[in-house]
This record gives sequence, structure tokens and C-alpha cells, in this order.
Amino acid sequence: MADRQTIDARGAFCPGPLMEMIAALKLVAVGDEIEVLSSDKGSSADIPEWVAKVGHEMVGITDHEGHWSLVVRKLK
Amino acid sequence: MNAKPLFVLICSGEREKLQMAAMMASVAAVSDRPVEIFVSMNAIYAFEKGKTADERYRGGVFADMLRDKNAPDPVELLGQGKMLGDMKVYACSMALDVLGWEMSNLVDDLFDAPLGLTKYLSDAEEGDLVTL
Repeated sequence: MADRQTIDARGAFCPGPLMEMIAALKLVAVGDEIEVLSSDKGSSADIPEWVAKVGHEMVGITDHEGHWSLVVRKLK
Repeated sequence: MNAKPLFVLICSGEREKLQMAAMMASVAAVSDRPVEIFVSMNAIYAFEKGKTADERYRGGVFADMLRDKNAPDPVELLGQGKMLGDMKVYACSMALDVLGWEMSNLVDDLFDAPLGLTKYLSDAEEGDLVTL
């Protein structure tokens, strides 16, 4: 069962949530997941773009009131 | 890594432009795109060692908004991008000479070396050059 770590980047502006997620991804094992909580609308689009470009997996995006939860699985 | 490198030449001391330069460079660097930054003219003042965030930048209306909303500090953002991706940061040799500065006058752990335009422009032939 993969580990999942949550990063609360609510209140941070672009590219803060993306950068925090990337820093966390560097430290976890392949197969583990990072959940980013972000109130920044730009990041909710930017993060999936980055995930696709670099080659990880976008597990899911959930729209909560006032913020998004984005879950990324490290593939390499 | 096959992406065309991004070259960001920053001359402005305005926060708005330094913010955009830092954002572009950091996002490119973490997106598997190598980046080389060349800091010159007024921009170099933002990187003087010992300056607080408030002392680093001038700017217009948007700079005030960025400050009031605690947007990421450009100098720190570049540091993050350098740690997480392929980014080289160069100080313009001419600007250092004009100010009588050494590399030790600049913030720690960010700059790779002083550099002149001949080398920088030659490298930039391989990629996209943006000037701010």
C-alpha cells in the first residue's frame, strides 16, 4: 500500500504549490503519493500539466469549497 | 532531457519583472528544461547580500500587491528552482565591475559564476532568450 503525504499549500501563490509538491516528490519513494491542498486556481491547472510533462501520474483532483486537493503518484 | 534551454536575461530592478523572471526560470527548471539566468544592471541590486525582502525591489502597483499578498520572494524562488532543477545563475561581469563588487557581495548559494555577454549569447544560440 503506497504512502501518501499531504502538503497544505493553501494561501500560497503560483508557483508555490507546484514547487512544494516537487520538493516533496523528490523525497518520497516511487509509488508513493503526494496530496497537495491548494487555493490557487492557476496551480490546479499547472500541477496536472507538470505531472504529464515530467511523467508521473495524476491520481485525482477534487474540488472542495475554496480549495483543491490534487493527488500525484511518483512513477520514477 | 531534450527540451530547448531557456535563457533569461534580467536587467530590471522592478519586483514585477524579477517576479516573472524567477517564476519562468523556476517552473522551466523543474519541468525538465535547463535554464541559464544572466543578472545585470538594476537587477543585480536585488541580489545584494544582506538585503531584506523589503529592501530588494522597487516597483509599481503590482509590486505592492505582491508584497501585501505575500507572494513568493523572487530571490528565494530562484533558490528553490536551482535546488530542484537544472538552473545556472550568472552575474554580469560588467555590472560587478561598475559597482566594484565581488561575487561575495551577492547572496549565497545562488550564483554559479560571473559571466560576460560573449559566452552567454553564444550559449543562448541553443535555446530561447527572454529579456526582462
